[in-house]
Amino acid sequence: MLEHIIQGFVNSFIPFNFLLIIAGLTGGIIIGALPGLTATMGVALMVPITFAMNPISGLVMLGAIYSGAIYGGSNSAILINTPGTPSSVATTFDGWPMTQKGDAEGALNASLLASAFGGVIGTLFLLFLAAPMAQLALKFGAPEFFWLCIFGLSTIAAMSQGNVVKGLISGALGMTISTIGLDPLEGLPRFTFGSYSLVQGIEVIPAMIGLFSFSQVIILVGSKKKFIAAYKGKKGATLRTAKILWKKTKANLLRSSVIGSFVGILPGAGGEIASIISYNEAKRWDDNKCNFGKGAIEGVVASESANNATIGGSLIPMLTLGIPGSAVAAVIMGALLAHGIQPGFKIFINNADLAYTFIVSLIVVNIAMVFVGSVLIKGTAKVLNVPTSYIGVAIVALSIIGSYAIRNSMVDVMVMIFFGLVGYFGGRIGFDTGAMALGIILGPIVEDNLSRSISLAGAEGSVFKVFFTHPISLLLIILTLVSVLTPMFLSKYRCKKEAGAND
Amino acid sequence: MKKNKILVSIVGMVLVLALILTGCGQKSTVVKEKYPTKPLNMVIAFSAGGSSDIQARLMQKYWNKYVPEQPWVFNYKAGAGGAIGFGAIAQAEPDGYTLGGLNVPHMILQPMAQGAQFSIDDFAYISQVVTDPQVLAVEKSSQFKTWKEAIDFAKANPNKLKVGIVGTFTGHHMMLLDLKDKTGIEVTQVVYKGAADQNAALLGKEIDLMIGNVNDVMRSMENMSILGIASEKRNDFLPDVPTLKETGLDLVSDIRRGFAVPKGTDPEKVKFLRDSFKKIQEDPEYLADMKKAGQPTDNMSGEEFDKYVHEQQEYNKNLLTKFNLLK
Repeated sequence: MLEHIIQGFVNSFIPFNFLLIIAGLTGGIIIGALPGLTATMGVALMVPITFAMNPISGLVMLGAIYSGAIYGGSNSAILINTPGTPSSVATTFDGWPMTQKGDAEGALNASLLASAFGGVIGTLFLLFLAAPMAQLALKFGAPEFFWLCIFGLSTIAAMSQGNVVKGLISGALGMTISTIGLDPLEGLPRFTFGSYSLVQGIEVIPAMIGLFSFSQVIILVGSKKKFIAAYKGKKGATLRTAKILWKKTKANLLRSSVIGSFVGILPGAGGEIASIISYNEAKRWDDNKCNFGKGAIEGVVASESANNATIGGSLIPMLTLGIPGSAVAAVIMGALLAHGIQPGFKIFINNADLAYTFIVSLIVVNIAMVFVGSVLIKGTAKVLNVPTSYIGVAIVALSIIGSYAIRNSMVDVMVMIFFGLVGYFGGRIGFDTGAMALGIILGPIVEDNLSRSISLAGAEGSVFKVFFTHPISLLLIILTLVSVLTPMFLSKYRCKKEAGAND
Repeated sequence: MKKNKILVSIVGMVLVLALILTGCGQKSTVVKEKYPTKPLNMVIAFSAGGSSDIQARLMQKYWNKYVPEQPWVFNYKAGAGGAIGFGAIAQAEPDGYTLGGLNVPHMILQPMAQGAQFSIDDFAYISQVVTDPQVLAVEKSSQFKTWKEAIDFAKANPNKLKVGIVGTFTGHHMMLLDLKDKTGIEVTQVVYKGAADQNAALLGKEIDLMIGNVNDVMRSMENMSILGIASEKRNDFLPDVPTLKETGLDLVSDIRRGFAVPKGTDPEKVKFLRDSFKKIQEDPEYLADMKKAGQPTDNMSGEEFDKYVHEQQEYNKNLLTKFNLLK
């Protein structure tokens, strides 16, 4: 295997391939940063271009775009409080407050370095532990997914600063909204009020763009601020941030990347779930948990390293079993098939050069990302130097285009505007837009797996048996209980301020 | 003198204008418009990168060879399992500049059961390109070595056999209903959102048996046993898999893909499209490309496809009514 790895490195540095890596990263980061354009879209658009080149180069480019896009989402999350991709929702929790405090540069560089680190860890799992992790992925059935999402939702209770009830209501509202459309089991329409345009349900991305971006524009326009936030570009920011991360966040980085890699292997669970769970764990184990949500760099680090680690994770079942771990992995698998290459364990024997070069190129991509990213940060951070009046207009235009681009439908633009108003007015009465976004994202997965588990119960004999007797389910249930109960009973795990408020 | 000059220039301009206009008039009557004179909109009802998209892109390569004058511009209208895109094709201007990909039985079932905004009579069919038969598959180490064993198990243990399908009111669902109808078995139906989740569930032993398409099972073949294929003849991609028909069960079930324009399009243009597609679909290089991409080619003319779609509608309507799934 070692000679394949070395050959992989050599192949990655062939001028054409290296050029593709840089181009793919640049394009990917920009696509990720623009709200409404997702990683899936970016990769899918570039697949036909790969038909003209040899499969190895094509895959290397797609991998670079994938990595760039998942990192890129953090840029808009930090600068304008809008996740550029759903994987960056958790990055807004601390990234945006950091910008408001004047430390946008710190946040941007932290997310860059954390993303690169997470990407490398995820790729290492792919390189050395693909087989056992793929087997683990198969053990996740409907009940396990259900409990995993409940665990993810339990983070809402931990996230809401001070007012758990409002957080839970926001989350519940989000889940209710996600039920609009076709029921997963019978395929019958719900809550569509007779209108066919609602039959497909509420698309997550326009809802998120509305909740975060559009409502932010309304707030910005209403405020008297000339600029979104103060910003002074200082030289050597990347190196300085690297030193801070090394000092403060080693355990965080490692833990979040591992969480991301494992969540990534599950088809149907991706960056969104991974980043939320890591954020929550980072908060739980940090001594200064009160700072989370107010601009703690640890929050940005946790979220971004996790979501980039899911990249390597999602490719594990795709390459070894032909089962993609994420939508982008599915598109890449389509590209592989179109080139006539069959995914599966045999790929490491019959197409060893291709498989190992692809995997190793991801490591090169993540290292190159630090350089490409720091150059681009200088550009994107300039957004903060543009007066709010122009930014507001630009965000509105981007929001509309982004929402429309999902599936060329004006319904999504209406949804976006509606949620913008919901986010704005809701924010004024204390609703948690993050919790609502979580509800909208996780709701369908929870319901899908709940109904499927109940179907399975028909064959297994009892509902209780299906939900409470599988080992992995039990583990997740225990984790959820621990996560929810320890802050309540052990003051060590409570934020000091919250403890005061609860008494 | 000045006044004269102005008069002359005005008269001159009017004359020139008149000549140009008559010249234009002459031009348009002498030269007949050759279709197509502008790019064609190709509507794909699924997301970019999926099977339908890849197949259309393959055809695009050959369209550019045979009709180099005007290209296709891809327009993705995904959603509701294809219903949004199919509706978009049906409701487009029938001027011959919008065409799109159709999937059967999706386009039959959606108007019947889900209130979709189109019907199978809203299209002028160009041709059929692919037939993707359904298969019955189990995990490699399963106790069932033939599909008959699975059916016998189901008969002896009602509702204990877990069968996975993708979506309700889809080809898989119809096949399961057909299977239940023809063998009388009672099983537990487990519905998945996509082939990826369904494949993972089969390999993870969450379900005992799954109904899948050739295209989907090709990717995880080394971990599965394909017990039977629901087609008339054995399939080139799976030559060792017996058809259900040859082993005693008269069950044929598949997903088909074709292309169409909205009804009411000028018959001349429809004929042009049918002829062009025929050339593409008979090109040996196109056939080789399709094979390489794992797409099961099955060419049928527009008229035959039209007839097939209507027959399938009758068949599925009867099936759904039998199981009380139609209101």
